Amino acid sequence: MTREPNFDELIGDEATGAERERLLQAHELLLQAGPPAELPPELRRAPSMEVPRIEQRRKAKRRVLLLLAATLTVVAVFFAGYAVSGQRGTKSVSPSPAQVISLRGTHLAPRARATLEVSRAQGRNLPMRLSVVGLRKLPPHVYYDVYLVRNGRVEPWGLCGSFVVDAPRRVLTLKFNAPYGHEKGDSWVVTRPGRSSDEPGKTVLRPVAA
Amino acid sequence: MRKNKGDMELALEVPQPRLRAVPADAATPPVDPSEVSDADLLARVGEHDREAFEILYGRYVRPVFSLALRRLGDRGHAEDAVQEAFAAIWRSASTYRPERGAAGGWLYTVARNAIVDRLRRNGPASDSELPDLASSEAGPAEQAEDSYVSWRVHRALEELPPREREVIELAYWSGLSQSEVADYLGLPLGTVKTRTRSGLARLADQLEGETL
Repeated sequence: MTREPNFDELIGDEATGAERERLLQAHELLLQAGPPAELPPELRRAPSMEVPRIEQRRKAKRRVLLLLAATLTVVAVFFAGYAVSGQRGTKSVSPSPAQVISLRGTHLAPRARATLEVSRAQGRNLPMRLSVVGLRKLPPHVYYDVYLVRNGRVEPWGLCGSFVVDAPRRVLTLKFNAPYGHEKGDSWVVTRPGRSSDEPGKTVLRPVAA
Repeated sequence: MRKNKGDMELALEVPQPRLRAVPADAATPPVDPSEVSDADLLARVGEHDREAFEILYGRYVRPVFSLALRRLGDRGHAEDAVQEAFAAIWRSASTYRPERGAAGGWLYTVARNAIVDRLRRNGPASDSELPDLASSEAGPAEQAEDSYVSWRVHRALEELPPREREVIELAYWSGLSQSEVADYLGLPLGTVKTRTRSGLARLADQLEGETL
C-alpha cells in the first residue's frame, strides 16, 4: 500500500513536452491530496432534509406563537390601561389633552369643583371630559349645562351637553363634545337653568382665574 | 494478481444520483446531469429542488467526507459533519452569488464551517483525534491550503468517467502496479495505461491553475 506510483510507468513515453508537464502536475496533485475517504453506507444516499423542514415548520410555528403572544400582550396592556384609567376617575379623554381647565363653584355652589379636559380638535369637534363634584342634586327634568364662553361671554349657541347629579359627594365624570371650532381664549362654564330653557342659566362653575 | 474487492480500502463504487424521469420537451433534448454546472445546481437547491440537491450531493459527498475525516479524525464525527454540511448547503444555497466566486469554493467554505462547528462542539480533542492539527509539519495556512487542494482533487475525481476513476484510484492508492491493476480488472495492460493517461489528462484540465 505504501508503494508510490511511478509516473513514467503510468504514462509511458507517449506524452511529451507540455502535455507531459500537465500530466505530471496532475500526478503530483493526486499524490499530495491522498486518497478520498471510503464512503460509509450511511452517506451513500443524500439526506432527506426532513429535519430542516421540520425545523422550518417549528420555527414558523414559534414565530406564530411569538406573534400571538405579543398581540395578546398588547391587547392585555391596552385593556389594563383602559381599566386603570377608568378606575382612576377617567382623568383624560386622550393621552395628552390639548387644554385642561379647572373650574370652581360660584356662590350658587361654593363646594363644587370640576376639571374640564379638552382634547385636540377632530375636524370641528372638540371632545371633552368633565369631572365634577360638589354640585347639588336638581329637581327631576332640570339639568346642569356646559356652555362655551367666548370673548368673555357665555354663548347661547355654545351648548356642549347636559347632565344630572345624583350623588353630590361622588366624582362624576362625563364626556361631551363641543361641535364648533376652538378659538384662542375659549373657555367653558357649568350653568343651571334659568327661566328659559333655551338660554344659559346661572353659572355654578367657572374657570379658575389664571 | 487478482484481489478480492472486499480487501480494497478504497471506495470504488461511487453512488450515482438517481434522477427522476422528466418528460422531455420535443424541442429541447434532455440535459445530461453531468453537464449541469455546480452554480446552476446551487441555484436550484436554493429553491429547494430535491433532484438538484441529490446531484450536488453525489458530486460532493466524498470530498466533504474526506475533508471532515481529515479534520475530525473520527468517522462518526465526520459522518455527522457531512450531514450538517449538506443541511447547511440546503438551507443557505439561496445566498450563493455566482459573481462572487466559483460554486466549488462556496461549497468548500460551507462544508469547512460545518466541520469547524462540529470540531468546536466536540470540545478539546486529543492529538489522535486531530492528526492534521496536531501535525508539527505545517502551520494552519499550509493545512488550509492542503485541505483545499485535496478538496479540489477529490472533487475533480468525481467528474471522471467511472472507468477512468477506477484505474486512477487503483494506480495511486491501492499499491498495485499497472500490470497488477490490469490483472485485477481483467483488462489488457494497454487499456489500463490508456485510461490512466486519459484520466490524468482530464484531471489536469479540471485542476488547471492549481499549484502545489
